[in-house]
Amino acid sequence: MMRRWLLPLLFGLAVAVFAWQAALVAAPRIIMSIAVERLAEAGGINRMLHAPLAGPGRRTIVRPSPDLAYSSCPFDLSRTALFLRVMPNQAPYWSLSVFDRNTDVAFVRNNRDSKGGVIDLVLAREGQAVPPGFETVRLKGDRGIALLRILVPDRARFAELDRARRSSFCSGEALLTSPVSEAE
Amino acid sequence: MKPVFRYLLCGLAGLALGAGAAAWSVRAGAFGSSARIGPWTTGGDIGTARASAYTRATVALHGLLALPAREARYYSADDDDRGRPLDGRCRYRISGGDAGGAWFSLTLYDPAGYLVANRAGLYSVGSAAMGPAERGAWTILAAPDPQPGRWLPTGGVERFNLTLRVYLPAGGGRGNLPRNRLPRIARLGCR
Repeated sequence: MMRRWLLPLLFGLAVAVFAWQAALVAAPRIIMSIAVERLAEAGGINRMLHAPLAGPGRRTIVRPSPDLAYSSCPFDLSRTALFLRVMPNQAPYWSLSVFDRNTDVAFVRNNRDSKGGVIDLVLAREGQAVPPGFETVRLKGDRGIALLRILVPDRARFAELDRARRSSFCSGEALLTSPVSEAE
Repeated sequence: MKPVFRYLLCGLAGLALGAGAAAWSVRAGAFGSSARIGPWTTGGDIGTARASAYTRATVALHGLLALPAREARYYSADDDDRGRPLDGRCRYRISGGDAGGAWFSLTLYDPAGYLVANRAGLYSVGSAAMGPAERGAWTILAAPDPQPGRWLPTGGVERFNLTLRVYLPAGGGRGNLPRNRLPRIARLGCR
């Protein structure tokens, strides 16, 4: 009796180990895909969504910091590369980070790195055409999220910083239809 | 029973067991749970390609879009210094010093990762609001009712989480803060 079940049980154990690892590998991609969809529903794909400060029951990202203003750009590079522009502001800290489909950070730069200047960046797949002269980050997948974080040291300053961040944007069309400088 | 059915039955059971165990483990895991320092858990490889599949899955679920170590370090606590779960009906003294970064903040979340509603609209305490002296030695009282000094409202929730963020950490965030530089969490009493 036991001998007849021994090999099937070992097979089941091997399947369990494989399923464990497969589930762990798949989880970040599934969660990122859902996050891209949700952000795109709120503000559109390849468009920057300037969210209000996080509050109870109100968040655009998981476990948000209430000290930060988040602007997110869910992107899809299947049609075109994406242009990102972050304009500097008066916050003591801000940063732009780009997350790929696997949740890895493909790019991060803060106001110290950029010496308080503008960040212009192009996100593209391997082999995708991009205009010359732009700093380019090549990604393995089509989808992901770019996130601008701005420290709001005092909530009373939010309105001022909110106005400033709205000149930052992301766009795929800007690269398809016109020079980036005209897309502003 | 035919052999093919025995294999099918065990294979399906293995599939359910493996996937189910992975889902349970990730849901139960703490954000950035690669190192435990007293009540705090942290991870130095968040957001990097060298992160393990387990770390990547827990971060995706509990803190998607977290920054890599050179930009920010995250320390998360669900228990007090004596290992008791943080209870929003109790009063805690959280005391610490300079966390060694450009700035830091301590935020209180409910178990689902949401900020906890409170009339005062207070969700975190950050070093940006502290002078140099206080930044070197600070005390925060977490409690359901208003407290003198720096107060972090618990909203009376059954369980809560504390997350310490240290931005632009010293040394590029390569090392974990030692126990004596992480905040102490002392329970003072309960309702």
